[in-house]
Amino acid sequence: MSNSNDWTESWMNSQQNYWKAWADMAQRGMKAPEAPKNPFADGLAQWWQSVSPMAPPTGRDAFDKLMDVSKNYFSMAERFMSGAQAKPDGGMEAINSWLDGMQKTWSDWSQMGNAFRPEGMFSKDQFKGMSTFLDLPMDTWNRMAANVMPMPGDYTHAFQHNNNQPMQEQISKFLSVPAVGYSRESQEQYQILAQRQMDYMAATQAYQVAFGKLGMESTKGFQAALQDRMKEGKPISSLRELYDQWVEMSEAAYAEFVMTEEYQTLYGRLVNTLLALKQQMARMVDQTLEAMNMPTHAEISTLQCRQQELRRDNLKLHKELKAIQAQLEAMRQSMLKAQAVPKAAAPAAKAEPAKAAPTETVAAKPAAKAAAPKPAAAKAAAKPAAAKPVATKTK
Amino acid sequence: MMPFDMRPDAVMQELTAYGQKLSHGMKNLMEVGEISTGVTPKTVIYQEDKLTLFRFNPSAEKVANKTPLLIVYALVNRPYMADIQENRSTVKALMDAGQDVYLIDWGYPDRADRYLTLDDYINGYLDRCVDVICERHRIDKINILGICQGGTFSLCYSALHPEKVKNLVTMVTPVDFQTPDNMLSHWVQQVDIDLAVDTMGNVPGEMLNWTFLNLKPYQLMGQKYLGLLDTLDDPEALKNFLRMEKWIFDSPDQAGEAFRQFIKDFYQQNKLLKGGLEIGDPVNLKNVNMPVLNVFAEQDHLVPPDASRAMRGKLGTKDYTELSFPGGHIGIYVSGKAQKTVPPAIGKWLDERS
Repeated sequence: MSNSNDWTESWMNSQQNYWKAWADMAQRGMKAPEAPKNPFADGLAQWWQSVSPMAPPTGRDAFDKLMDVSKNYFSMAERFMSGAQAKPDGGMEAINSWLDGMQKTWSDWSQMGNAFRPEGMFSKDQFKGMSTFLDLPMDTWNRMAANVMPMPGDYTHAFQHNNNQPMQEQISKFLSVPAVGYSRESQEQYQILAQRQMDYMAATQAYQVAFGKLGMESTKGFQAALQDRMKEGKPISSLRELYDQWVEMSEAAYAEFVMTEEYQTLYGRLVNTLLALKQQMARMVDQTLEAMNMPTHAEISTLQCRQQELRRDNLKLHKELKAIQAQLEAMRQSMLKAQAVPKAAAPAAKAEPAKAAPTETVAAKPAAKAAAPKPAAAKAAAKPAAAKPVATKTK
Repeated sequence: MMPFDMRPDAVMQELTAYGQKLSHGMKNLMEVGEISTGVTPKTVIYQEDKLTLFRFNPSAEKVANKTPLLIVYALVNRPYMADIQENRSTVKALMDAGQDVYLIDWGYPDRADRYLTLDDYINGYLDRCVDVICERHRIDKINILGICQGGTFSLCYSALHPEKVKNLVTMVTPVDFQTPDNMLSHWVQQVDIDLAVDTMGNVPGEMLNWTFLNLKPYQLMGQKYLGLLDTLDDPEALKNFLRMEKWIFDSPDQAGEAFRQFIKDFYQQNKLLKGGLEIGDPVNLKNVNMPVLNVFAEQDHLVPPDASRAMRGKLGTKDYTELSFPGGHIGIYVSGKAQKTVPPAIGKWLDERS
């Protein structure tokens, strides 16, 4: 760790010197040398690369996420600083031009409907930071989708296509051509797979386009918030404040958008097409397994279903049996009690034979009464048997 | 007046300070050690399949209420949220309030559990846990405290087996699943749940995580981690953050059939409120005739307050109380304010009805 700390200190010192020199020059109105593209973000990435192997598993995930967010944050800062560089108005002009540019890009994105990934779209570093940030929902979706698919995540990306409607229609037509010949069934399965792949990509694309619109709304909201701050005399005084303001406006635009009917449809389509694709993949895997005389997923599923039904019946019978046992035990106790009473009464019967009959009758009554359980007793008997030892285990 | 007042040297200082915090935070991370959760000592009372019924070890002088209290947690996420750390434990606070506390841990369902239904969970597992507690204490009925989805289960259980529930407490429990501010409900309306369950069997916890994170994506996937930066120099605060992080991403897969019924009957068709719900037998909220305490959080983004308040007037009981907490879905268990107010209020309410 000491080594990594030394490295960190040295890295931070160099960063500090760089920015100090840059700030001095900026303050003196000098033309600063051209800055590296992302000195802080790149330095940070290097630092994390060197120290992360030493990070313990506890908290590693959280730190990974912190580093991702930090990289975006630093990119945003660098973008902002580059824009503000040598601008006497505090960078307002640069920021406005930056936001206008971003809005235009979102607009182009949503109009063109290209299935671009933002990392490709913003590869020129123009809006790095903000765009990655806005893409968070889609990014996590892609990670999640990759994990639930039998194929690696890149598999679906390989099928990305431009939003060329006539071309898509042609492909769809081609895929709906009836299969013929010896391998007809297999061919059909591949056609279905390809169609579902296209459906999923179209849904993903529509979802991304919608987020392009959302990006525009967020940017507008951000610009409006800046205007409000200007009017209220509450300027943004730190990068963190800038970031928090951006989050607030993005979250507000998002919250409004995701409660629309449009989003409900997009979301449903995204999830449903992914599942349909996965279902088709699973079906084809099953066919292969069947051909190899191996148990298929469908067969195992049937067995699991039957086993659960058996288990349910078994538990029900177990409960009923327990209740019957409890009732029998109650009856047995009653009979024992009934038998005990005549024995105790026997000497009296010998001494007074004439009264024997009435004595028996009297003794029989409580016994009969006890044998026929009251509603409350019956309820108790129907309950499971008496308390068990501390640890009861049912497997 | 300009919207920005950021001098380059100040920005540089901010970025440098950021780097320093990261560096020192890394050092603290190396020394953080194991993150403990579920801190109050407890004993296994009963086990069945993946389920474990715990009893938190009671201290004789503290237990004032002789009727045991069973906590029924949700299938989503893990129940140690109610006992996450020493000074943030709803369980401990309930014990301090004189309650004898049991808790159901549903465990992590795997593919073999795919065909577990809500009937299996509620009339099977939950009912057997109630029976075990009744037998141990030689009583006919117990107190139940249901949390979130576990609250909905408890409500259904109380409607199906009112003779076994003395008092019912629901915490952040949805009853109306289609309030206009319910994001989860809005999103799921066009999802083909049959396709989901038929395709995946069990529903992966990761999918649920994605859904929950998307409720506030920029805060929960971005801003929150910048917040972590502010706590990196405090080892205890770092531990608390990591503990919460562990809980958030500790999402069991959901047994397919139970998930299918829960989403279709509750979220898509709102049958608990509208009627027509069947879990083994028809579930009629008018059968909930025991005293009910409904606790909800005013800033709950998962279960909006109106989703819980919908319980009012729908039950068969004449003894219905609401307790509103000014916080969020998680804050109601872990915030300092909640610790001081919510469990004592629940304890008092139960004691008055013991």
